[in-house]
Amino acid sequence: MSSAPPATTVRLTIDGREVVVPKGTTVYTAAKQAGIEIPTFCYHDRMAPLGACRVCLVEVEKMPKLATSCTQEAGDGMVVHTVSEKAQAGQRSILELLLINHPLDCPICDKGGECPLQDNTLKFGPGQSRFVEVKRTYRKHLRMGPTLVLDRERCILCWRCVRFGEIVAGDDALQGFERGYHSQIATPQMAPVHSKFIGNTIEICPVGALTSATYRFRSRPWDNRAVKSICPHCGCGCATTLNVRGNDLDRTRSREHPEVNDVWLCDKGFFGYEFVQSPERLTAPLVRKDGALREATWEEALDRIAGALRETPADAVGVIGGARSTNEDNYLLLRLFRGVVGTNSIDFRTDTANPLPVSSAPWGLPGSIADVERADAIVLVGCDLTEEYPIVWLRVKKAVDRGARLVILNPWELEVARWATHSLTHRWGAEAALLEALAGRRDAVEVAAKSGAPADRLRGAAEALAKASRPLVLLGRTAVERPDGAQVLAAAEAIRDAFPAAQIGLLRGRANSGGAQLLGLVPDMLPGYRPIGDADARAAVEAVWGRPVSEAAGLTTRGMLEAARSGALKLLYVVGADPATDYPDAHAWEEARRGLGLLVVHDLFLTRTASSADVVLPVLAYAEKAGTVGNIEGRVQRQDAAVRGPGTARSDGQIFSAIAERLGTELAFASWEAVFAEVAALIPGWAEDARMAPPRPAPVAAPAGAHDDTAPGPAADGALALVVGTRLFDRGTMALRCPGIRGQAGEPFVGLHPDDAARLGIVEGTLCEVRSPRAALRLAVRALPGLHPGHAYVPRGYESAPASVLQDERGPVAVTVRPAGGGA
Amino acid sequence: MTARVLSGGTLAEIARLRGLYPRAQSALLPALHAAQDQVGYLTPEVMEDVADALGLTTTEVSSVASYYTMFFTKPVGRHKVRVCTNLSCYLNGAEQVLHHLCQRLGVAPGETTADGQVLVEAVECLGACEEAPVLLADATRHPRVTTAAIDDLVERLR
Amino acid sequence: MPDPLLMKYAGQPGREAIAAYLATGGYEGATRALKELTPDEIVALVEASGLRGRGGAGFPTGRKWRLTPKREGDVRYLVVNADEGEPGTFKDRTLIEGDPHQILEGVLISSYANGVHQAFIYIRGEMFLGQERLSRALAEAYGRGFFGKNILGTGFDLDVVIHRGAGSYECGEETALLESLEGRRGEPRVKPPYYPAVRGLYDRPTVLNNAETMAHIPHIVRLGVDGYKAYGPPILYSVSGHVMRPGVKELPIGTPLREIIFEHAGGLRPGRAFKAVFPGGSSAAILTAEHLDTPADFDSLAKLGSMLGSSAIIVMDDTTCIPAVIRRTIEFYRDESCGKCTPCREGTIWLSQILDRILEGHGRMEDLELMDNVAQQMTGICLCALGESVPPALRASLRYFRDEYVQHIKTGTCDVAPAPVAAGGSA
Ligand SMILES: Cc1cc2nc3c(=O)[nH]c(=O)nc-3n(C[C@H](O)[C@H](O)[C@H](O)COP(=O)(O)O)c2cc1C
Ligand code: SF4
Ligand code: FES
Repeated sequence: MSSAPPATTVRLTIDGREVVVPKGTTVYTAAKQAGIEIPTFCYHDRMAPLGACRVCLVEVEKMPKLATSCTQEAGDGMVVHTVSEKAQAGQRSILELLLINHPLDCPICDKGGECPLQDNTLKFGPGQSRFVEVKRTYRKHLRMGPTLVLDRERCILCWRCVRFGEIVAGDDALQGFERGYHSQIATPQMAPVHSKFIGNTIEICPVGALTSATYRFRSRPWDNRAVKSICPHCGCGCATTLNVRGNDLDRTRSREHPEVNDVWLCDKGFFGYEFVQSPERLTAPLVRKDGALREATWEEALDRIAGALRETPADAVGVIGGARSTNEDNYLLLRLFRGVVGTNSIDFRTDTANPLPVSSAPWGLPGSIADVERADAIVLVGCDLTEEYPIVWLRVKKAVDRGARLVILNPWELEVARWATHSLTHRWGAEAALLEALAGRRDAVEVAAKSGAPADRLRGAAEALAKASRPLVLLGRTAVERPDGAQVLAAAEAIRDAFPAAQIGLLRGRANSGGAQLLGLVPDMLPGYRPIGDADARAAVEAVWGRPVSEAAGLTTRGMLEAARSGALKLLYVVGADPATDYPDAHAWEEARRGLGLLVVHDLFLTRTASSADVVLPVLAYAEKAGTVGNIEGRVQRQDAAVRGPGTARSDGQIFSAIAERLGTELAFASWEAVFAEVAALIPGWAEDARMAPPRPAPVAAPAGAHDDTAPGPAADGALALVVGTRLFDRGTMALRCPGIRGQAGEPFVGLHPDDAARLGIVEGTLCEVRSPRAALRLAVRALPGLHPGHAYVPRGYESAPASVLQDERGPVAVTVRPAGGGA
Repeated sequence: MTARVLSGGTLAEIARLRGLYPRAQSALLPALHAAQDQVGYLTPEVMEDVADALGLTTTEVSSVASYYTMFFTKPVGRHKVRVCTNLSCYLNGAEQVLHHLCQRLGVAPGETTADGQVLVEAVECLGACEEAPVLLADATRHPRVTTAAIDDLVERLR
Repeated sequence: MPDPLLMKYAGQPGREAIAAYLATGGYEGATRALKELTPDEIVALVEASGLRGRGGAGFPTGRKWRLTPKREGDVRYLVVNADEGEPGTFKDRTLIEGDPHQILEGVLISSYANGVHQAFIYIRGEMFLGQERLSRALAEAYGRGFFGKNILGTGFDLDVVIHRGAGSYECGEETALLESLEGRRGEPRVKPPYYPAVRGLYDRPTVLNNAETMAHIPHIVRLGVDGYKAYGPPILYSVSGHVMRPGVKELPIGTPLREIIFEHAGGLRPGRAFKAVFPGGSSAAILTAEHLDTPADFDSLAKLGSMLGSSAIIVMDDTTCIPAVIRRTIEFYRDESCGKCTPCREGTIWLSQILDRILEGHGRMEDLELMDNVAQQMTGICLCALGESVPPALRASLRYFRDEYVQHIKTGTCDVAPAPVAAGGSA
């Protein structure tokens, strides 16, 4: 397009006030800057002006007609009146026309008290209506799925929700149907709305037409206390506000953070809060007595743990978890286990068997989440973005709208494929080869043959990438969490060599993983990403802790499980994690469990892991404690306590202090702020909202080997390569207790390419036995036309059918799929 | 992905139409015409097929279809009789024309005869005011319609 | 009075065959334009001819073409508006059915003049015969090398696509038409900031003209400015309603209404008296007997608070119930409103509800005040001209025929009989 003209400003007069704004600013924005309020409905500052509702009318001298200020560009010397008789008459007319068909059922409307239509009518509207005809009527309160309720009578057709779906989310969830005075917001045949972002439309709807099924009639806005919080789900750490009445958590709303979530949230963030006040929360410690878990006092439980820690040699003690705790909790964890107990076997990565060393492959983005929208080419490799990190997708969408090229490499087609310039599905395991082809290191035709991705598209993708000046490569767990993950990483680095401007990110981690990594909840690191081998780093820590820190790297989660199996590890301490379900090899976990002398678990619920533990301690959830958490940008954000926890539940940190005390060490801090301050002394730059991205990683040496052939292809006996995927709406421990999420997750399933299903003579919906060398699951078959043939897709995160029972920590497995009961 | 309802012929036609425009979505209206010509009206499945054929979402397709009066999302008569009721025809007895036609077919405007043969619609100006009152029987325009003319039209359509 | 220019051969049997068109000098203008004239010379010609768009807005065509940025290598489009939907207007259909090559030749010249290589003709969905004839004509013209690659050996390429609408008056509005052509709902785009000339189809500069406008172009090139002007310059009036000889009347622009109606259209039916007229389609304020000597041109009609619009003249005699006619027009706008903007969507339904009450005998005197006020409030605040087209006729009727409304409110009826439908065989 044409090169931008030199940025200049214009000077105009609004209601007698001089305003100077950059050229291109609208009159509405200029007025806002001057503190002058003009009513709006269709205009939303995150979307281009539409000029549809017409309420923002102003009088511009020398213009024949009133102008809509949201679309009118401010001109030099313009004289604007927003409160002249003419302007006000225009605004009044629109409000009167909007109200003639509005039910005015405000007393029973959720929006009451926070309704722009109500407010604007009060400030700018007509006295009373002259409308004596019959109002437009529709069937009220249509349920559009588990989270959304639509009331078309209240709708003022501002088109915000429709345009949110078109412009911001790109999911076309709601659309305008019919026309004229029959125009209405709907989905085809009023089917449940299909979206991961619909909560945002509830937020931006200027009336009570779109309301939340989980919040409806819960409360009136003026009864709500607003508490700053951070979303506890995926690793993005979106800023939220919790609405609280008494001790009841009523709803989650988005809170603006320009660098993180802007003003948006995904629906897991909006509707994933109800688990906090589930009646199934653990309220008292449980201790295993003659085979069964029984309620116990805190003293009993803590003594049992302290006793065991005293008797167990440090190198036989391991700790996994921390992603669900605050940074302050985790810092106390470190002081207790690294400092007092003296073990370095600490790992927050409880859901992977093949983690790459943090030093060469730190989890997270190379820059801020906002930076993603500034890339001009984005390559998604084995990362199901809308399922794993929805808010990052909104940035990718913006980048695409700005002309960025989107390349997707994945064993199954992503739901956002239609926005991609090149979307390639391929055989799982071919990622490294494909990346090398993109980097121009390998011949597209040869790689296409190996990977099953079409050569022309692969070449096209390579060309698209070559044209970019700010490429961003985002690797996901599907790509790297295999024994050959290092090759994939090395291949990604090949792209950086080919295009030095390229940035690489590893999209991994949930909740506070970012903070856990930053504090060093890994076997070989100290706070601030400093290697444990670094003597100065150790000295600094020892100085503050007054305790020696061993320089020997500890064990990873997998290492600890292996040690437990061999009897070398006796005591495993699990902090807010459920490895029995999430560790990608349930069988390996069970064997390890048998080898353990003592298993301690902190959790909110009696998870699979907890129910097999010797001591279970009830802890506080994110909404019940203040502190800080870190996200996939390494940003440290603060959350406040919104509600009281159940029973005698304590924070992880309080528990660690209590144990330390029993081991003879004073670890008492006056407040979380005091802990925060001590961390600041160890990590330069540690501060609220500071973003501490890991240092640029040291390149990994790619182990040689025919790395793109490790995925077992379809065998004659109909064996398929098992691929496990993440779903935003799942039925895990937390989601199960959030009706809004559970309702959308549906039943667990196995996805097959229609051709494979046909080859195996299986029709959609058939209940099948999915058998791996490890074990079998019974799952209904779903046809996935976008899945690359030769694979079986099983979602993780279903408590009733954990994919991990099929998985093997040593590498990919092949599965057979046969109608349950039928077949051999 | 194989089509649910649309025939190979229709899909080929849609592919041809798609090729006429710089952007696939521009082919949506002609594609919906083609689909409707094959099936008679636009069922949800038909609209899914069209969406797939043009790389659009079904929501977008059905939203667009619902806007235009010539697209039907419910079953309608094989024959479509459109009676102009706008000014010039109105001034020349369009109301009586519509009334007589409906009476002969035993339907109200907007309805299809019980045998599913004939849809009667009151429509806006057909741009043939010099021939008022005018009606369109499928693709054929009938000028200066009289009750007698209506009677033998009804015969021919039955 | 000069013999007709645009209508000279229109409607002759087989006229859509290219042979017939060529036999009467067809495509000579285009040949001359492509071989002897530069694009700029053609734009200058059209500007000098004084041609004003025939779609309704009457915007000077030459100036519109000048407004279209002509940067080298930029993709530009030409879009012909053949969606003719303004009530009472049938000139475009008459040309399309009666002499389609005339329009195609205009498309060829206009595309060349504007550096356009891809043109679209958006034709009204219900215009079945027109679609058939225009498509046949286009196919034949392609066959003779007037379209496609290297036209007439000049190296100029042009492709034309006939795009069929699907039932929406609003899609005649230029920006709604572009939305529809892009495969979306026919909802208008807000103007300003961008007009089609600068940012139109697919956000590219787009020359958008009415079908009749296109038909004038070959003659301007063929006859030159003076030769063309000698014809009036000509304009096509669509005359209908209560007249003896309705039809398209090609006359010098500015012919007085009285002459058009009583001479060229054969006057009223025997024994009938003149009551009122829409001089420019139903979007124009109605006029009465006292205005009959007004020249039917853009400025004179504008002075009366009405407009020439698409030059559709709908005549009403004394059998006409004005409130009923106005209700019909309001219903039309209500049903054709896209629903995107508030005043048009809600104003039309409100007004039609009030009119229904009045005509059903439940009117109140204050309703007249209310209707006029609602209409006045709608004026100037709608997103596109459809909404702006609602008030003029209604408000004029309240001014000139208030007593008819009052009679309905007071007595619940009026004393004009609706015209009966002829009983005899089809003419
Ligand atoms: C509601 C509405 C309907 C219109 N319908 C038509 C139409 O059917 N044909 C047409 O040529 N112009 C129509 N117009 C005018 C167009 O917007 C546009 O001004 C015209 O096509 C430009 O061509 P011209 O410059 O040759 O007149 C309509 C305008 C409005 C507001
Ligand atoms: S539902 Fe709400 S946001 Fe959507 S168009 Fe209606 S008023 Fe606007
Ligand atoms: S806010 Fe400006 S038109 Fe709606």
